[in-house]
Amino acid sequence: MSDLARIALDTAVRRGAGYCDARLVDQKREDLTVKDGHVASLEQTESRGLGVRVLVDGAWGYAATDELTDDGVAACAARAVEIGRASASVLAKPVRLAPEPPQTVVWASPCAIDPFEVPLTRKLDLLFAVDAGLRGVRGVTIAESNLTFVRKRQRFVSSEGSDIDQTITRSGGGYAATAVSGNDVQRRSFPQAEGFHQTRGWEFIETVPWVAEAPRIGEEAVALLRADQCPAGEFDVILEGSQLALQIHESVGHPTELDRVLGMEANYAGTSFLTLDKKGSLRFGSPKVNLVADATLPNGLATFAFDDEGVAAQRWHIVRKGMFEGYLTSRELAHRVDDDRSRGCVRSDGWHHIPMIRMVNLSLMPDAGSLEDVFGDTAHGIYMETNRSWSIDQLRYNFQFKTEIAWEIKRGKRVRMLKNPTYQGITPIFWNSCDFVCGEAEWRPWSIVNCGKGQPGQVAEMTHGAAPARFRGVMVGAGYDD
Amino acid sequence: MTSADAQAILERAVASLDGREFEAVLGGGISELTRFANNEITQNVSERRTVLSIRVARGLRTGRATGNDLSPDGIARLRAQADAAAALSPEIPDLLPVPERQAYRAVSGADSDTSALGPEARAREVSRAVTRCRAAGVEAAGIYETGCGTIGDYGTLGPLAIANSKGLYAYHQGTDASFRISALDGTASGWAGAESHRASDIDGEVLADRAIQKCIGSRSPAVWKPGNYTVVLEPAAVADLLQDMAWISFGALAVQEGRSFLTGRLGSRVLGENITIRDDAYHPLHQGCPFDAEGVPTRPVTIVEAGIAKGPVYDRQTAAKDGLESTGHGLQVPNPIGPLTSNLVLEGGKGSVDDLVKGVERGLLVTRVWYTNVVDPMTVTLTGMTRDGLFAIQDGKLAGAVRNFRFNQSIVRMLTEVEAMSAVQRIEGVVCPGLRVRSFQMSSATEF
Repeated sequence: MSDLARIALDTAVRRGAGYCDARLVDQKREDLTVKDGHVASLEQTESRGLGVRVLVDGAWGYAATDELTDDGVAACAARAVEIGRASASVLAKPVRLAPEPPQTVVWASPCAIDPFEVPLTRKLDLLFAVDAGLRGVRGVTIAESNLTFVRKRQRFVSSEGSDIDQTITRSGGGYAATAVSGNDVQRRSFPQAEGFHQTRGWEFIETVPWVAEAPRIGEEAVALLRADQCPAGEFDVILEGSQLALQIHESVGHPTELDRVLGMEANYAGTSFLTLDKKGSLRFGSPKVNLVADATLPNGLATFAFDDEGVAAQRWHIVRKGMFEGYLTSRELAHRVDDDRSRGCVRSDGWHHIPMIRMVNLSLMPDAGSLEDVFGDTAHGIYMETNRSWSIDQLRYNFQFKTEIAWEIKRGKRVRMLKNPTYQGITPIFWNSCDFVCGEAEWRPWSIVNCGKGQPGQVAEMTHGAAPARFRGVMVGAGYDD
Repeated sequence: MTSADAQAILERAVASLDGREFEAVLGGGISELTRFANNEITQNVSERRTVLSIRVARGLRTGRATGNDLSPDGIARLRAQADAAAALSPEIPDLLPVPERQAYRAVSGADSDTSALGPEARAREVSRAVTRCRAAGVEAAGIYETGCGTIGDYGTLGPLAIANSKGLYAYHQGTDASFRISALDGTASGWAGAESHRASDIDGEVLADRAIQKCIGSRSPAVWKPGNYTVVLEPAAVADLLQDMAWISFGALAVQEGRSFLTGRLGSRVLGENITIRDDAYHPLHQGCPFDAEGVPTRPVTIVEAGIAKGPVYDRQTAAKDGLESTGHGLQVPNPIGPLTSNLVLEGGKGSVDDLVKGVERGLLVTRVWYTNVVDPMTVTLTGMTRDGLFAIQDGKLAGAVRNFRFNQSIVRMLTEVEAMSAVQRIEGVVCPGLRVRSFQMSSATEF
């Protein structure tokens, strides 16, 4: 059988590429959804193709094809060179890649039980058991549960001599109960909104109490219909871990992507308030705030051996004791922050899309104390759990989140359930108001599986570890305060 | 891909499924995008992709397999996977047999010059726009995207050709071109965009000039207090808000499940008398696909007429539940989402956005909105940010830039307070006008 990746490399270099890498990707996915007692989706998807990235006269070209023949990949590589040449006609400075030693590696994420070998009936039995648990609660209007399994095998070869074969398997799922009454639509999700996933096999599914928690989730959805409206005003807010994970994602992760900072996403996702002068000088958060980027985190959704530029996975502080320290970088942009090496943050969501800077796993490090401890230390506050909606401006200053549920905390105790909780803030002010981060026992590696970025848009996944934390004097109630 | 090529692949796909009920769907095409920032091309990509999805039904059981290996072995594997999944899947009580053969209205959404446009031509158009920005002392960032087929954003694929076991065959291959540009000067920015199925309708220089003007006008913004203001929303802002409203409200399943503001209100006044919202694949500015994911012909649907709720869009499953016929807005079967609008139209008026501004004593002009999300589904309360040009209006004239706001606004209420509309244009996949709205809630300011 032909070595298609090599054919692509050789063709591109012969046609004038100064640098070339090729990724041959074989991706497999299974999606199952049960809704209101019936199968609502049951699909197996396979996708195989090749993407070729070239530098021609210092300008990028990228072409992708699923015509996996000698002629097909050669034509694809030739197209990439043609595109690179066109790019060079509107170029201010040639691209310069930070050096990286060539690697020859075979690596796979841990997978004890292959999820694709687990019988379909076993997966459906689990979903139907969850569904029954949710719909067993009187007042639940819609019950929806899902499982997703993904395996991506990628061979990366470069004109610098790298040949990296990686296989990453991801498993996960989630469910939600919706209760409707008149004009009120309330929802509860488990274990978090948008699903809980890890880079493991079916053994991960077996660690989560899917069925046992379903009645509680259904009951909370129904109880929210009768709950009091969350009050508006300035409150101390305690965020549960999965909501805090999204807060980290939107207000820390995206603004530290160096391509954003340098204006390369300006037309779509925007730029960043974390301009280059802020590195090492901005007090981003309180001394309680330690944020660590980590592509080596066990079972993380952005855990790998090498990124899609052949750079080894790394772990480093983005924020240390509240001070802003660094960015998420690529080989192209590392020199813009005086780094001599990329942080290895470049990924693509498939063969058909060009790799770009994507968040790796990014976590708020635990401090000390339990959820009960932070409640006990709060005279009057609001504890918010599980994301329901999110929005943030294009420089990542002004954010607003809504969670599914909240409880009012008075004199250290939960006193009442609240519905429709929203909170709003300005990123550095908010993180500087953090005065309590719970300890390791409360820390969980929460999932993001729907991170959109780029033009054309790509979807990436990553893990954000977090324990509950408290923020002082936060504006609560936007959207329900008129 | 020609219709003959598509038909040949679909025939191979279902060759040994005699006696089984099935549908086979092809999606894909070519998508090419030149991206620029800081006045240079930073990314330039081409994607060619064809995906086959086979669904087999065994009575009320069904299974689907999807892949892009169109070799004989690859197709055979997909068939076997779909068949095995159908055998193992529990019965779906409201699963319908595949539709009968259908007739489709012709649309003219394909342009051969657009599908042939290469990277050099895109680079030339980008260069014209970048040259204008450089001369104005601002940084240009944006895209010029052209495509042929059904590759959508975020890798989604629409149906290009469909065949089923009852002899249905549907084929549609359109083209698309879109140009979007931001002009930036520090945190000041301006934006302009255009889209059409013909690349010849795109003029990068004109768009660059518009973005430059907004960027320069956005320097040194004044700080206004949050509050309710009269606003003029440009079409790009209106399109974004309407898309969110449609996503959560205009599909029949949302109405049947009681999570749409239309639930229980069909035949009643729900919006202002001057508001008519349709879904129309045949609108001259849309020229969209004339069938849905099952091959059912897409009909024009009036969702709200002169403020009166007329009805949502349907697929076959939701239509059967209401004793109606599908309007041809279904997604692939089965799915948990239900039917969705695909070619939104908000009827407009005459004149320009400038004409709308003339009627405002004190208010704000909103160029576009960003990162909208649902706060409350039943009132369609959305939050989001203004972006790329928020301007004060005083006595009918623009009166300088204003620092951007976060809004929390019920779109249902907004559409009862529309004072005037401009002529329509197609932007962000929606045909809509600019609107002058009596009161719009700006709830908090940001830092720029």
